Amino acid sequence: MNMDNLNDLKTVWHTAKTDKLPTSKEMLKLIGTFRNQKLRNKWLMIISCLLFSSLIIAVLFFVSFKEITTYIGGGLMVISGLLVAATNIRSIKRFKHLDNCSNLEFIEFIEQTRQNQIYYYKKTMVRVVLLCSVGWLMYLYEFISKYPIWLFAIYSIAIIYLAFLWFIIRPRSFNKDAAKLAATREKMETILQQLKNK
Amino acid sequence: MFEEIYSRYASQIFRVCLGYTNDADQAKDLVQETFISVWKNLPSFRYDSEISTWIFRIATNNCLRAMEVSKRMPTAELPYNLAETLDESPEEKLKLLYRCISELEETDRIIISLELEGLPQTGIAAVVGLSHGNVRVKIHRIKEKLTQKFHEYGQFK
Repeated sequence: MNMDNLNDLKTVWHTAKTDKLPTSKEMLKLIGTFRNQKLRNKWLMIISCLLFSSLIIAVLFFVSFKEITTYIGGGLMVISGLLVAATNIRSIKRFKHLDNCSNLEFIEFIEQTRQNQIYYYKKTMVRVVLLCSVGWLMYLYEFISKYPIWLFAIYSIAIIYLAFLWFIIRPRSFNKDAAKLAATREKMETILQQLKNK
Repeated sequence: MFEEIYSRYASQIFRVCLGYTNDADQAKDLVQETFISVWKNLPSFRYDSEISTWIFRIATNNCLRAMEVSKRMPTAELPYNLAETLDESPEEKLKLLYRCISELEETDRIIISLELEGLPQTGIAAVVGLSHGNVRVKIHRIKEKLTQKFHEYGQFK
């Protein structure tokens, strides 16, 4: 067999064994198990945020609070929940457009996704955490303002916890993902370069 | 409908994914992922492009997304004395072909796999997103690269 001849290569290529692939019935069973797994986390996040926001709205609506800080705090938490839900809905809508795109369009999509992730870390996440934290601290005020010791203790714990999240957890998670994003960028650039080389 | 599509394209998609990954298990996973997408999106497929183009687009995009693939790709060289001892069996020829393809750049692997699978060059151009002329030139160059690799492994008459 001449390995230089394309027809010979095609003959060799087609000898690859494919008999271990699942049958169409087995594939349908597998699909039943995995079909929604890809975007499941995004959907879970959307549903949780919407439930959380609805719950806060219901509490603010049905319970009469005396302090305006409780309403402002609740409102800020609702906004932060809706912001996360909206970001994830927008992301899912982008994925829906991926059904029929060429490799070149796909690589451009991945690059856009990478930029969106960076924007999420640098802007959206900052807004969400800020809104939610301030909202939470304001929401708590009415319940504990009558007990100075509790007020001091709970606010101290809350502020330490938020500072821990902000200064320890967030940078760590950001650094971890930044390395991944940088690797993706490098890979994308290589593939784009390959496609654009004439 | 789905079962018909699966029976017709599963083997082709497997070979193309195997051409990209050179790893049968990973190729099987990619076939599965491809047909999950096909199953989900089949009701909204508008038939304004060939169904084969659509399916190969999904499969090759899945390959490109599997970033970690390159780390798992066997990069070890064949033994030095391979040229003298290479078995002429079809299995060995197949292994060598897949190995040579796996040593190409990512997009070259996709293009040559689709060419070997028998897709017309206009179809390959639609899958990859390049012009027909560009694909023709690329295929010519990839064939040269493959020939060079076969030379290196002493598999050239």
